[in-house]
Amino acid sequence: MRPVVEPRIVALACVLVLAVAGCGTGARSDDAAAVSERFHAALESGDGQAACDELSEETASKLEQEEKKPCEKAILEVEIPKGGTVTVNGVEMRSAYIGVAQGSTDFLDEGPEGWEVSAAGCRATTPDHPYECELED
Amino acid sequence: MRRFLKHNGLSIAFLVLFIAAVGGQAIAGHADFNEEQIRHGDPELSLTRYVVSADFGAAVMENWQSEFLQFTLFILLTVWLLQRGSPESKELDKAGLESDEEQKVGPHAEQNSPLWAKVEGIRRTIYENSLLIVMTTIWLGTWFAQSVTGWTQYNSERLDHHMDTLGWWHYLGRPDFWEKTLQNWQSEFLAVGTMAIFAVYLRQRGSPESKPVGAPHTATGVEG
Repeated sequence: MRPVVEPRIVALACVLVLAVAGCGTGARSDDAAAVSERFHAALESGDGQAACDELSEETASKLEQEEKKPCEKAILEVEIPKGGTVTVNGVEMRSAYIGVAQGSTDFLDEGPEGWEVSAAGCRATTPDHPYECELED
Repeated sequence: MRRFLKHNGLSIAFLVLFIAAVGGQAIAGHADFNEEQIRHGDPELSLTRYVVSADFGAAVMENWQSEFLQFTLFILLTVWLLQRGSPESKELDKAGLESDEEQKVGPHAEQNSPLWAKVEGIRRTIYENSLLIVMTTIWLGTWFAQSVTGWTQYNSERLDHHMDTLGWWHYLGRPDFWEKTLQNWQSEFLAVGTMAIFAVYLRQRGSPESKPVGAPHTATGVEG
């Protein structure tokens, strides 16, 4: 007996559902991980300017206001893990969160120029509540 | 061509209305989405990117699932439940699946009856319930799509607020999913219930959704 629904139609339906659900996040999650990795590598090598280049404008600006120092100096004083490998925990639409060393987490936003770190040094304190972050926008 | 349009006017009119409305929804939704992005200092999306986004998908699927649920329930419940005086109801002595003779199946099928109405076995069982099967499948499919797109949207908002994401299964237990589901269901149930009752006492001359204007309020299962 002929199948009631052609496999091609099933495949098309799956593609549509996955596209709407955010399919094709693989390459984007790699990009997000690379940004996070560069950010922490820059901190490890003491390159504050390179670390600030990976921050979102709002996050860098807030850091400067709070610390009353240029971003490249202030960023080196924040308690954020330096170096290490990263793990992408999730990418949803234009946001991502990434596990870094010592149980710390980064949150990234995707802007016109690619992924930017919007919060770093974050830890879950209370279930279902925002993480507490050392650096955020 | 004119004959084709005359014989298919209802489905063509609704197809055109659907395309116009979903196109309008995409344009308005895109503008609204970008206004929100600007307010939050986030980048805007192109229209083509917006129409494959979870935001647009969730907005469309929420409504589709509830519409198909409405018809699924209406088809199913009107087999057994009656409404005295309503053209949406069968006559009061016809509750249930009715006899093969009344349904013109098997040996009672007519020459121009569909083939699967004439045969016995699984094919006839499927055909006897085909409207319900298709409507239920579309309802469940669109409800699932609503859950997936809503889940993506929900997780994106959580990440914006520096919270971790939830699994799909956990999202199904969240108020966000049920609020979006039930706000659509309640309006469909109200509209169908209202139609069933209003049509007992009110008329629209010429419409098959109404009883004939002069039909008594007690006449049940009569279409104009």
